[in-house]
Amino acid sequence: MNEGSQYIYWVSHNIALGYLIAWYLWLISLAEGTHIIAHLSWLYYRTEDYIPLEKVGSLQPFIILALVPLFLVIDLGRPERFYTMFYHWHWTSPVAYGVYIITICMFTYALHSYYLFRPELIYLARQPGRLQFLYRLLTFNSSEKGSPNEIRKRQERREHFWAGASLFFSFLGLIYLGILLSSFKGRVMWHSSVMVFIFFSFGACSGSAFLILLTHIKNALSKAEYRSILYQQQYLAEFGILLKYSLLAQAGVFFIYFVLMHYTGIGGRLVAHVFFSGPRAFQFWFFQVAIGIALPFLLMIFKRMRESVFISSLASVCTLIGTLFGCINIFIGGQMLPMTHINWEVLPPEPEKMAIGIVLMAVMFFTFIGTYRFLPYERIES
Amino acid sequence: MSKKEGLLNRRDFFRKAAFGVTVAGVSALLSTTGEAAQGEGRPKKYGMVIDLNRCIGCHGCTIACKSENNVPDGLFRSWVKIAMKGTYPNVSLHFLPRLCNNCEDAPCLNLCPTGATYRTPEDGVVHVNRDVCVGCRICVVACPYGSRFPNPITGTADKCDFCYHRITKGLQPACVDACTGKARIFGDLNDPESAVSRYMKSHSTQRLRADLDTRPKVHYVNADETLMGPDYHAMLKRRRGK
Repeated sequence: MNEGSQYIYWVSHNIALGYLIAWYLWLISLAEGTHIIAHLSWLYYRTEDYIPLEKVGSLQPFIILALVPLFLVIDLGRPERFYTMFYHWHWTSPVAYGVYIITICMFTYALHSYYLFRPELIYLARQPGRLQFLYRLLTFNSSEKGSPNEIRKRQERREHFWAGASLFFSFLGLIYLGILLSSFKGRVMWHSSVMVFIFFSFGACSGSAFLILLTHIKNALSKAEYRSILYQQQYLAEFGILLKYSLLAQAGVFFIYFVLMHYTGIGGRLVAHVFFSGPRAFQFWFFQVAIGIALPFLLMIFKRMRESVFISSLASVCTLIGTLFGCINIFIGGQMLPMTHINWEVLPPEPEKMAIGIVLMAVMFFTFIGTYRFLPYERIES
Repeated sequence: MSKKEGLLNRRDFFRKAAFGVTVAGVSALLSTTGEAAQGEGRPKKYGMVIDLNRCIGCHGCTIACKSENNVPDGLFRSWVKIAMKGTYPNVSLHFLPRLCNNCEDAPCLNLCPTGATYRTPEDGVVHVNRDVCVGCRICVVACPYGSRFPNPITGTADKCDFCYHRITKGLQPACVDACTGKARIFGDLNDPESAVSRYMKSHSTQRLRADLDTRPKVHYVNADETLMGPDYHAMLKRRRGK
C-alpha cells in the first residue's frame, strides 16, 4: 500500500501542549500517589510512631497541589482567564471535572493536615515562645485541654473523615489523569483504557519514592529523638518493599500497554516504535527503564540496601526521574505522532517555560523545608 | 394529624410514582412529536463537497482564506496537501484541500473545558468564542484533523468556521469563491434541493478518518487514500529502511 508515495506539500502542526503540562500531570500523580501511600500505610500500621510520616504525606501533597495550577496557568494562551474554568463548566470535558477534583483534593489535604498537626499545635500554643502567636492563630485560639494524645483521641472522627475524603479524591485525581488522556480519541498513544493504570503505577512508584526521600530529608534536619527516628527508618525500609513492587507493577502495566498497542493496528505499532527505536527511544530506555525502573528495583531488592539511607534515597531520586520521564514520554510522545502527514511533529525548545517549571519545583521543595522550621512534625511525647 | 397519617403509604407511593412516570413519558412524547412536526423546517446543516477531479492545487483557497480571516503568518485555516504517487513513468499527483470539518460529533467541542467551542444549533457550524476561550489548546490536540491552531495574536484557539460572517449574509465562504476549478461546493446538507446535496447524490464521496466516527461535514470526491490521514504505514516502512 502507498508504494512510492512522496509528500510534496503539507502543513506541520507542531506539538501544542509542551513540557509544562507534562510536569503538571507528573506533579499531580506524585501528590496523589504520595498521599495514597502515606494514608494507606497508616491504615496498615496504625501506630503513633507512624504519624510524622503521615504528616509529611499530607502536607507536601497539599503544597504541590497548591502550586501546581501555576504550571497550567502559565501555559495558557490567556492566563488571566484561568478562573473562567470554574464557572464556564462544560460537562463533556474531563478537564472541567479535573479543575474541581484537584481543587477539592487540595482542600481535603489541607484539612487532613490540619487535624494531623492540630494536637501538637494546641499544645505548643500553650507554651510561651516566639511562635506562640502563630500556633494560636493556626488553632483559632483553641482552649482545648489535655495532652496532644488526648486531643488526638477527641478529634479522631473528624481526622478520619478528612483522611477518608482526601483518599477518595486522591484516587479520583489519578483516575482523572488517565481519563483525561484516554479521552483524546484521535491520539493512538493516549486513547487506551490502560492510561488510568499507567497513572496509578506512576502514582504508586513516585509516591512511595517521594515519601522515602522527604522523610529522610526531614530526619536529616530533625531534632527528634533517636528512637523515634529509628522507628521511622523501619517504616521507610518497609516502604522500600512497596517501592520495589510498585516498580514491578509499573513494568507490568507498560508490558500490557505495549501488547495491547501491538494488537491495536498500525498506529499502535507506531506507538511502540516511538518508545523502542523512535524519537523517544533514548528517554524511554535510559531514563524511564534503566534509571527509573531497573536501577531502583535492583537497589531495593535486599533488606540491607533498603535500610541504608543513602541507597534508599538514591533509589527514590531515580524513581522520581523515571516517572517524570514516563509522563513526558507518554505526553510528548503522544503528540509526536502526526495526525495528517508522515513526519514526526516537533516540539520547539521552551527554555523559559522549563526555567519557570524548575523554579516552581524549587519553591515547592523550599516551602516544605520552611514548614519544618515551625510545624510540629514529630510527636510531642517522643 | 397523627404522624402515621402524615406518612405516605405504599399504595399511595406507587400511585404517585406511576402518575409521575406517565406525565414524564407523555411530555417526552409530545416534545418528540413537536420536533418531528418542525421537521419540514429542519435546521440547516452547512457542509461542503470538494471534488478532487476539479482541484488543480493552485492554493487559491489558502490565500483567500488567509486574507479574508486575517490568519497569522505560518498558520492556516485552510491549506492544500500535495503528494506524488508511483514511480516514473507511472506517476500521479494528488491534492487534498483541508479545512475544519465542523464535525457533527466534534472531539474539540467535547473536550473544551469552558465550552468556548460551541455549535450554532441553527446551522451546525462549530465556532470558538474568543471571549471565553482560555487558550488551553486542548482542542488543538483533540482535533484528529489538525484543523485548529493557537492564534498568537488573540491567545485563543482558531479554526475555519466556513467564513460565518459571509455565509450568514448569503455569500459563499472565501475559499469557495476563490476556487479556480470550482472544486468546492458549499451549502445546506439538509436541503435536498441545495447544490451540495444534489452533488452528493450524484457522486460517491469520502470523509476523513471515518474510523473515528466524528461525522465530518466536509466530503471529498475521488480523494486518494494516501492523503486522507496520517500515513503510518509509510512511517513504519521508513523505519525499516524500505
